[in-house]
Amino acid sequence: MTRKELSLSIHTVKALAKRDLYSTLSSLGIYIAAFLSFVASSFILKNFLQSIKGDDILISADPLNYPLFISTVIVSFYLALLSAISISREKDQGTLEVLFCGPVSSSTYILGKYIKNILTYFVVVLFFLVYFWGVSLLTNLGFSSRLGKAILTSIFSLSCVISFGLFISSLTKKMRNSIIWLIGILILFLAVGIGQTILFGMPQGEVSSVLTYLTDTLSVVSRGVDWISPFSYLSRGIDAISLDNSFLWGLNILYSIIYSAVLLLFSICIFKRKGVRG
Amino acid sequence: MKIAKFKLVMFSVTLIIGWVFCLPALGQVQTPALEEELVYRLNVFNGRGYGGEFTPQSEDTIYLIADKNNAISARITLVCFWPITGKYQASFGTLNEEVEGVLEILKGEKVIETLEKEDNCLYHPEGYWAGVSVLYRGEEAWAYHEKYKKAIAEYYMKRSEYQQAQIEYRKKYNEFSKEIKKRKEAGEEITEEEAQQMMPKPPSPPRSPGFFVPPPGKDYIINLPPGNYKIRLRVENGAIIQDSEKNLVLFTYRREGGTGYTIIPGNRWTKRESCDDSSWIIYAAGKNTLYFNPFIQDEYNELYYNKLEEPQNTGREEKWKWVRTEPIKNVTLLFSKGKEILQKIVIAPYCVKQIYGPELGYEIVEWDPKEMPGRLPAFGGYKLELAFTLPKTNYEVNLQEKEGGLFPGGRREVRLVRKERAKSLYILSIFPLAVGLVVFVGRRRKMK
Repeated sequence: MTRKELSLSIHTVKALAKRDLYSTLSSLGIYIAAFLSFVASSFILKNFLQSIKGDDILISADPLNYPLFISTVIVSFYLALLSAISISREKDQGTLEVLFCGPVSSSTYILGKYIKNILTYFVVVLFFLVYFWGVSLLTNLGFSSRLGKAILTSIFSLSCVISFGLFISSLTKKMRNSIIWLIGILILFLAVGIGQTILFGMPQGEVSSVLTYLTDTLSVVSRGVDWISPFSYLSRGIDAISLDNSFLWGLNILYSIIYSAVLLLFSICIFKRKGVRG
Repeated sequence: MKIAKFKLVMFSVTLIIGWVFCLPALGQVQTPALEEELVYRLNVFNGRGYGGEFTPQSEDTIYLIADKNNAISARITLVCFWPITGKYQASFGTLNEEVEGVLEILKGEKVIETLEKEDNCLYHPEGYWAGVSVLYRGEEAWAYHEKYKKAIAEYYMKRSEYQQAQIEYRKKYNEFSKEIKKRKEAGEEITEEEAQQMMPKPPSPPRSPGFFVPPPGKDYIINLPPGNYKIRLRVENGAIIQDSEKNLVLFTYRREGGTGYTIIPGNRWTKRESCDDSSWIIYAAGKNTLYFNPFIQDEYNELYYNKLEEPQNTGREEKWKWVRTEPIKNVTLLFSKGKEILQKIVIAPYCVKQIYGPELGYEIVEWDPKEMPGRLPAFGGYKLELAFTLPKTNYEVNLQEKEGGLFPGGRREVRLVRKERAKSLYILSIFPLAVGLVVFVGRRRKMK
């Protein structure tokens, strides 16, 4: 690729991302998603606060991390769906054919979508900072440096979710199929992750023999799912932060980047092979 | 004829069904069958001392802490499955036959060590029940046991002297009582002080040796670096003993020398809380009394550690657990807000007094040996009182050493939360929606 071609590609990616970003930010969807994610977080935090009885204590590492995880999951679900829908819709409506007549290629198109979603998430990150700072001020739950680190980690894990969404939409032709596949797989990943967290969080003595078998099964399943599920990159990152292990945290970020790059590459290849009509 | 045949068939069917339904009940009343098995008896290092159970045939792996002396021995014993606990039980009281031979340790397929049995014993410096113990091998084991035997002999000698002195004392006391009675009857006035001076002094009982050392036994001592190994027993003629092969996992801590706290909340003293990691925050809402107990601790893999304590335990390989190794002594607990120290707390023993009457409950009071003779303290701890008037902000507890420096890893954050504002969180959630509406309306206006 010559320098001129590269410059043209960058320009195209920028133009595509800008066009989509403007459209996303001027519609209400992303704000509603952020609102819903904060309602869910508020619900969790309210319950957490109410569980601290007047004359009792509650010990927790970072009570804001779990609400952040839930908020990130809700927003990333929305963004992954948005990218899957927009690609399928453009395929359906024939807009892609028009776009591909110009300087738009499979790689610039996919990268444009990816960058747009990442930039949209930066706006959500601003909301996160305001919301969690407000929570800390109101309740004294504490906005720690670890929470800041967790928010930073969420950017990389969101990158994984978006690339996963783009990958699924590149595989499917119809909008309906993309949505069903994406929601189905993401819910499955979440169920495995949350199920494992709940079972592993139970005190050893309280795990019945049936639950022990379920824990063992989930443990085996999650060994595979851990590398495929984009959400596990977020939970692993948060774990590394709570362990105060910068090496593990850095390694997790590196894995997230590799995961995103690989899925984006696959998406581009599939898109190229299938063509604009999919 | 047909009716009789039908009745016979029905009777047989009823009998069979009844027999089938009775089977589980029969199984329940049957005593578990005892089977002769080769098992490994463990006396292994658990981070703070020595302990252990046995490894039945159902378990194919033995878990040990690396780079520490661990004593294991092979025994033939009677084993039965106990359905209530779901574990195998050994009856060493009935059969406890020592298996002779050498223990081979293999790394891959290569034998890296061949161990002979050697003398060893546990030295319990604070007594058998304190949980702290050290393993001594060979000559040293016998030397420690001799030291214990000598201390016990001395103790019994002093005890017999004490008993003699007790008899003498009782005799003198009776004489003293008679004397006082006689003088009082004679009309003489004896003051309290005079009586105290005349009264014979009771002898003080000798103190038993605080330590305990049982007679040395013969075991294989395994001390290996972390890794996966195999063990097996070989007899003199070169044959491998059947069922003696086991996997051996030597593991170590992930984090070492951490500072952990056990916190006893005043309102539920029997249900204690753990604050193991310095990243854990203690959240409180109002008036509280907390009793802190600091410990030194190491972090181990949950599955490996549970299997080390009891080979038939379950655990999760993905989880880690802190294991308390020893209490932190000679420190002061500091409660501070920023740089200002609000309270300096020293450790004290406490007693739990039941409150009688309609309100019931209990009261935790400082243990005073003079006021509470014959009673032992229920627990010890650093008592931190969080007053209702404390501003709802951030505080911290820390440990100060005698020399004035802070104990590493002792810092914990205490946050007093404003739970009354919990409902306002929903109002905060509206914020992105408000921004969205502003953007949306702005765009609409622009389009017009």
